[in-house]
Amino acid sequence: MDAVLGRLQQVVELLVVSQLDCVNEWDHQTMLRAFEWAQYCEQVHARSHSNPALRSALESRLHDTNQRLRETLPSYSPVMLSELAQCQHKLLVNLLRNPSSPSSIIHVFSLDRKTAEQGLDMDQIPVITGKSALKLLCCSSDWTSYSGLQNETEVRGKLLKEHLKSILTQYGNENSARILLDSILHDSAGKTENLYGVIAAALLASDDDTNNVSRDVILDWLQIHDGCLSKLCRSLPPRLCCALSRESVTFRRGYCDVLKRWANNLEYDVMHSAWVPTCSITSEETVTFNVLFDRFRALLYSGSPVKEETETKLAELKVESGDFDVKGISVWTDLILKLKV
Amino acid sequence: MAAFSETEVQFWMTKAVSWGENTSCSTLLDTSRHLNGLRSFLQQLLQGLQQMSSTSEAMRTFRFVGQFLGRLCWNPCVIADERSQSLLLRCLNCLYSAEPLNAVERKANMWIKNLLCHLISEEEGSVAHAMVKHAGISPERYHMDALEKVVSLMTEEVIKSCDGSPNSSARCSNGNINTMSTACIPLVTCCQAAPLIGALLKHSIICATSCVDEEFIEEVSKAWVSKRLVMEEEAVVALYCHNPVCLEGAALSLLESVLSDPKTVSQNLDKYVNESLLPQASALHCHIFLTVNEIYRNVLMEIDENIAGRALIQVYTNCFLQRLTALKPQDRLPLRAFFPNLPPSLLGPLLTAASEVPRTAWLDHLGWIRRSLQRVVESEEEDGDARAYQAVFDAWFLLVQCGFWVDTAAELLVLAESENSEALLWLLTFFHHPTNRGHQRSQQTVVAKEAWVHIRMLFHGRPPLPRHLCAMKDLLSSCLSRNLILHLFLNFAVFSHGPVSFTTEIIDKVLIDAGVKQRALWILSAIDCRLNRTAVSLEDRVQSRLKMLRETLLAPCAETLP
Repeated sequence: MDAVLGRLQQVVELLVVSQLDCVNEWDHQTMLRAFEWAQYCEQVHARSHSNPALRSALESRLHDTNQRLRETLPSYSPVMLSELAQCQHKLLVNLLRNPSSPSSIIHVFSLDRKTAEQGLDMDQIPVITGKSALKLLCCSSDWTSYSGLQNETEVRGKLLKEHLKSILTQYGNENSARILLDSILHDSAGKTENLYGVIAAALLASDDDTNNVSRDVILDWLQIHDGCLSKLCRSLPPRLCCALSRESVTFRRGYCDVLKRWANNLEYDVMHSAWVPTCSITSEETVTFNVLFDRFRALLYSGSPVKEETETKLAELKVESGDFDVKGISVWTDLILKLKV
Repeated sequence: MAAFSETEVQFWMTKAVSWGENTSCSTLLDTSRHLNGLRSFLQQLLQGLQQMSSTSEAMRTFRFVGQFLGRLCWNPCVIADERSQSLLLRCLNCLYSAEPLNAVERKANMWIKNLLCHLISEEEGSVAHAMVKHAGISPERYHMDALEKVVSLMTEEVIKSCDGSPNSSARCSNGNINTMSTACIPLVTCCQAAPLIGALLKHSIICATSCVDEEFIEEVSKAWVSKRLVMEEEAVVALYCHNPVCLEGAALSLLESVLSDPKTVSQNLDKYVNESLLPQASALHCHIFLTVNEIYRNVLMEIDENIAGRALIQVYTNCFLQRLTALKPQDRLPLRAFFPNLPPSLLGPLLTAASEVPRTAWLDHLGWIRRSLQRVVESEEEDGDARAYQAVFDAWFLLVQCGFWVDTAAELLVLAESENSEALLWLLTFFHHPTNRGHQRSQQTVVAKEAWVHIRMLFHGRPPLPRHLCAMKDLLSSCLSRNLILHLFLNFAVFSHGPVSFTTEIIDKVLIDAGVKQRALWILSAIDCRLNRTAVSLEDRVQSRLKMLRETLLAPCAETLP
């Protein structure tokens, strides 16, 4: 076990080294050995699925290594356990990006099948083909699902759900699932709107298991994460939010809360006889009155039980805010009047 | 030095630039339509690059190459097609310097490494990148899973869009189908995309207003015929049914493979024929059978005395008849439909399967066949007009198709007595020499009888006498009736009684000429197919003879050894 952990540590360090200048001292054999070690690491990771003891040992060693490396290199980004499954890929990418890497790196890539490396399982053709075939197909089909999801989003959502499910069944550990979602959120800092679409698709993905634990985990995570649920609801179109409301009571309630919060940040502007946001829309705390209206209308068209629940809720909120029947005092009254409920 | 015309380079550079502006749907469709031309251009470019002695020289000679290849790498349509992908990567390989000598070469190396990096990974900070990073599986696995799911989604969409009934209330969203099929042209041979390809193909057949792109269908048939694609039987049959060009291509391709590789193909002729799925399709659709026959008839007419062609026709018809009888009675047409223009008096005896006739009745059955054929021949001799001549040709072609009966006659001749031999020899002669005109059938009959007597003496003498061996060799190399004689000879070799060693000695001394051996392989393959069909376990004697014959025929010629 100790040897295994030792090797793991070496590979993580190797991944760091592969980004530095010193790789110009590597010869071809050294490079091959590096890939062999990385491959070994992948095999160990695969074994850890069925071996909780191994897994926790790996995690703890990984944690220590990450910490140590961060102390030495401030710009170091920690390696997650799940990333061990693609050690060879990471190594290859690092070396390709590094100007100092040995020029024989090209042979690892096996561009020309005839000079392919023996013994290394590094055929990149399937990745290249798979990635572009995916893009090609996603671009070519205009059809969206009944809830308005594009093919690509739907597929990534399904994969996310599958992955979460496997984490939960294998490790029974909701914490790992949450860490995963955190990492994905962090790493897709550039394009969160797409991410929310993927999360919605994951929530909607149909499932055999009746408990639907993964869905609950995602919903929990959304609510815990400050503002995430609100951001998600904002970026998704009303139709999609309605589909989600139909599928899950938890979401329905969460969505309603979000809408309530948005509505509470509107105030009546007497001069223009309209409800306007109290703070900037870009602060993500609120939306315009019309957007709010559209969303509620969509909910009312979503069939039972969503329709009835929404009506009830709106009535409740009207009463809570003073049960006025005239416009301009309670946003709920005005909404109800406009919705003709 | 490969010379590119300025216009050609301009054309493709302009295309590459316009494709690179955005990966919109229309860009990808345009790329898809130009893939064939792009591939040949890339092939030329590759050849040119391979002749360069260094990267610097390459960059000087082909100034456009950097921009061109770079842009193509960002086009998913080009990359998804396995052939253009391979050409592109090999071009890049040519431009990579193992030991860069100057700044240009170092820069080129870095640029190539970056391109490759881009090809295998997702853009940083994108959702896709985050998902792959945290998936806990290899990127290859992730992309395969994703691809499978997309294919499954899209296949469902295609299936739902048209259920084939004429009054379907579901409107065929033609625009989408056309787009999807054009986009799928590069993915025709991608195994993960197989369900989608199949669904699109089916759609083109069952939907009356289907807008599946023509080029897509053409690409599918080319891939199938050149064996780059594995398809379900149902899909192939549908393709043959609705696409005459594909059917013709498949029939000719089968013939070509038969003619070009006798040693391999002759050992397993029925396997090759069945793999082409032509017998299966023919059993289900009469017009397919008629078309294939027409093609093979024409070939036979052009190439005189083509043993290989005849073996193919015989095995194809045999496989077809097997498939036909395996169909449920309500699903199959009567045999007459498949053999128009032929009188039932001929169809009856010839189309009876050998397995339905007990061995003891073979002689009588062959007599019946002979009489039916003779009637046709005699009326031609009387009338002498074109129609009667056609009737003889048709009858003869039917005999070629049902050649297993001729083989049966040859087998019987091994043990027959003189009084029974006449009908059998007649059949054999007619098979090899159908008409009097130019073929001198009456003369051949005499030759056939003499040959039979000679061969009998050869195989019954213990040990085989040298003068008989010499006479045999002469007969086999003479121009007259050499196929007939070879046919008889081989049947004796397989079926005669007596020790294997004698037969071996005869074969070794007689079958020497390379041309004779080649023709013998075909005759043997037809015999083999017939014996497999009868489902009677072969006697050991026959088994070992067949094996020994094959080995002799496949061994290199004495003359060709160094």
